[in-house]
Amino acid sequence: MGKFVIRRLAQAIMVVIAATLLLFIGLFVLGDPFASTGDKVVPPETQEILREKFGLDQSLPMQYLTYLGNLFTGDLGIDFNQRREVSSMIGDALPATARLALVAIIIDVFIGVVAGIVAAIFRYSFWDVLVTILTTLAIGIPTFVIGIWLRQTVSGVWIFPGVPRSFTEVVPWYQEVLLPAFTLAIVDAAFIARLMRGSMLEVLRTDYIRTARAKGLGERTVILKHAFRNSIIPVVTYVGISIGILMGGALITETLFQYNGVGFLLVKSIGQNNNPVIMAIVTFAVLIYVLLSMVVDILYAYLDPRIRLS
Amino acid sequence: MTTTPEPDLSMPAQAVLVEPPDSSTPEAPTLQDPHKKRSQFADIWRRFRRNKLAMGGMVVVAIMVVLAILQPLISPFDPYDQNLLNTLQPPDADHWFGTDILGRDLFSGMLYGLKLALIVGVSTMLGSMIIGTTLGAIAGYRGRFSDGLIMRTTDIFLAFPALIGAILIVRTFGSGVAPVAIALIVLGWPTAARLMRGQMLSLRESEYVEAARSIGASDTRIVMRHILPNAIQPVFIYSFTSIGVAVVAMASLAYLGVGVPPDTPEWGRLINQGIEQVQVPGKDFLWMFPSGAICLTTLSFAFVADGLRDALDPKLR
Amino acid sequence: MSSAAEIDLEGPPAPLLEVRDLRVHFKTDYGVVKAVDGVSWHVNEGETLAIVGESGSGKSVSAMTILGLVPSPPATFPSGDIMLRGRSLLKMPEKQQRKLRGSQIAMIFQDPLTALNPVFKVGDQIAEMVRVHQDVSKHSAKKRALDLLGEVGIPNPAVRINQYPHEFSGGMRQRAMIAMALANDPHVLLADEPTTALDVTVQAQIMALLEKLQEDRNTAIVLITHDLGVVASHADRINVMYAGKIVETGTADEIFYEPRHAYTFGLLSSLPRMDKSRQERLVPIKGLPPSLAAVPRGCAFHPRCAFATDACLPQVPELVSVGGNGHQAACVHSDRVAMAHEERASL
Repeated sequence: MGKFVIRRLAQAIMVVIAATLLLFIGLFVLGDPFASTGDKVVPPETQEILREKFGLDQSLPMQYLTYLGNLFTGDLGIDFNQRREVSSMIGDALPATARLALVAIIIDVFIGVVAGIVAAIFRYSFWDVLVTILTTLAIGIPTFVIGIWLRQTVSGVWIFPGVPRSFTEVVPWYQEVLLPAFTLAIVDAAFIARLMRGSMLEVLRTDYIRTARAKGLGERTVILKHAFRNSIIPVVTYVGISIGILMGGALITETLFQYNGVGFLLVKSIGQNNNPVIMAIVTFAVLIYVLLSMVVDILYAYLDPRIRLS
Repeated sequence: MTTTPEPDLSMPAQAVLVEPPDSSTPEAPTLQDPHKKRSQFADIWRRFRRNKLAMGGMVVVAIMVVLAILQPLISPFDPYDQNLLNTLQPPDADHWFGTDILGRDLFSGMLYGLKLALIVGVSTMLGSMIIGTTLGAIAGYRGRFSDGLIMRTTDIFLAFPALIGAILIVRTFGSGVAPVAIALIVLGWPTAARLMRGQMLSLRESEYVEAARSIGASDTRIVMRHILPNAIQPVFIYSFTSIGVAVVAMASLAYLGVGVPPDTPEWGRLINQGIEQVQVPGKDFLWMFPSGAICLTTLSFAFVADGLRDALDPKLR
Repeated sequence: MSSAAEIDLEGPPAPLLEVRDLRVHFKTDYGVVKAVDGVSWHVNEGETLAIVGESGSGKSVSAMTILGLVPSPPATFPSGDIMLRGRSLLKMPEKQQRKLRGSQIAMIFQDPLTALNPVFKVGDQIAEMVRVHQDVSKHSAKKRALDLLGEVGIPNPAVRINQYPHEFSGGMRQRAMIAMALANDPHVLLADEPTTALDVTVQAQIMALLEKLQEDRNTAIVLITHDLGVVASHADRINVMYAGKIVETGTADEIFYEPRHAYTFGLLSSLPRMDKSRQERLVPIKGLPPSLAAVPRGCAFHPRCAFATDACLPQVPELVSVGGNGHQAACVHSDRVAMAHEERASL
């Protein structure tokens, strides 16, 4: 098991390095953030100074290495736009995204797992058909569209904060998080419900469930202990990956709801060519995703003893 | 791009104790149609036809394709034709969908957007499928080094937050339809590759492959004749879903202001107009039509894909 | 559990487990599948009854019905009953049936790899069997599991008890299943193809284990199999089933040495024998077993039967006595079968 973990860790690090390198090169190709663009006129001397200040006058490999070095000390640089420390910018936005991810996951796991189990146990019943229809719609309709409709119809109503709103308006986090979390949760809940249903159906047909019944166990125990433990495995994998993706910042959803998370910050930064912020956020997102994939793999091995030994 | 749709793990129909084989007695009542030699395609088509949702989806897709092709001919107005005296008009007899913020006919704009959507959607699908399946097949069949290399590459691409890569690529190449398609292909091939690889991995160990090897069939021959026809199925099914995914991605990018030039009547741009730029109440048609169109497109392709899946392998139902 | 049997002073004691005219029919899209169609048998303590037949003969369904494992829609039980020490199982409410499952009657299944839950340790699964039916602590249950593993011949039980099913070999897994089945000292053990998934040498070991356990505990064993070879040295009595009915029943000797039904004869002829000095051809039974939704009229076997005549057609032959005590066969041509067998045996 230890070897397994180490191997996955090494892979993870390789991926992160490769990804950040790719990103770095990409940003470099993207162009000079300090050049005069449109109505932003920057005199050449200022450009020189700015470039020197931000180390952009050095060669590309140098820049990358400097960046890596800084990463290790936690120095994420200073953003081009407002000269704030990138780490504090991210520090402000990150908890919001984390909250969003957490709330969304809690909602969709709960709904998805319950719906899936019910649909499987009462196969072909009204509930099963309902779940199938709802999940088909939820998966078929893009999150983008769901978000738009929710925003235009429901925001500003009751406890949901209005969008758009001015940035001076302060909304408590538990209200702010609702609509975006719900938007994100709908699709995942549908996937989880389907996954759970399919997995549960497959498990309920197995010989070991027949054995469990032959032992004289009550149906409740058979389902909630024996069947559940086996059928939940693919769902756990999916949820793990899902968290990883959500933590990378749901760009579209956050932007739609003006939710000040990491995704929204990223979108704004790209518009401003604000490279340090872009680098930092994407690096972070990649790191989280990769780490979570690794955790999921390890968790899978823990949950399914058959995998452990291979 | 959003996560890959997981294959539906639904189960076969309620187990019948014994499948009725050919009845061996004259007296026994015949329970099934006398065996007719039917081609596989006819069977698949028959099953597909029975699925109303899939048929509906197919009809919608067909209509869309026709509309998109005929767009230059049937568009009531030039989609770019501005009329600043007539902005933000609700739908009426002249302008079936109303007019937008620049006074352009929304219906014509939506038609044009449909054309764009389908062009980008299909080219993205083709590009990512071709690249993805080739690489995935190599990774799955060869294994070892190629597999490791290709899989790490997909890992890297998939690790980036959704759309980030696309945004960066588009900004590098400038706006326009081609950069968007390229960006989406670059982001889309890993999913196809993984799908194909998975298929390869499971199929190359199957017994009929072993049998083929044992009679000396070469690797290429094995792959082409034995594995591909089976492996290609889920990929083929997914390709339909991926068109819908590409359309959504393009619209999302346009909503963020990335991709097509700002005044293009692309659906995502129109939505941006409708919800961000226009804050006048009562102009909901501006965002309802384009978002409805996106919805319709994705659902239709998804239904077709679902229907195909059920038709190709009813045992998986 | 009091029963009429214990106070009946006249006649033979009621059998431990009795199946009376059992019918199990399934409503399906293909029609009514008559999985079990009028089957009666019984088994007593310390006895081994073998039920032999091809796939689709209804043998497994009978066993599953005894345990109440056949889901009731789509199954229906148009007639018949199952009596455990005189108490009707079919008429019992589900809760009570469940109490019997695993405690009075236990079952072991064909493929021990798939029959054991892969995510729970073997020891825990056995202990669970104990704790469902006996009110004991976790600790005692685990101890019992340990003892049982030893009893079924698993080496190093203290280590094995914490392992998972896939860490066991095929034979060991089956032993573990047997251990689990015997955890509550059941009166009846139903064994559904217990050796089919195992290697031949392991088969012999498992059967020997079952015999020993039976001797120790006086358990009744119902051995369900399609393999006559396994049955030969381990069964006291044999029921031969075809298309949901019993076509012949008798002691092991009677069935092997004096078959009286054409189907039994066919089965025996298709068995390779090592005890014949002269080479003889294996004679398979032509054709396939019928669909249980479309059972042929009259004698269900007649389309495949070498002895069939028109006499086989109008009605289903009844089980009639063909010699000895309790040897019965449902064949119109049992005398011709007897002759054919004599001929063969004298070769």
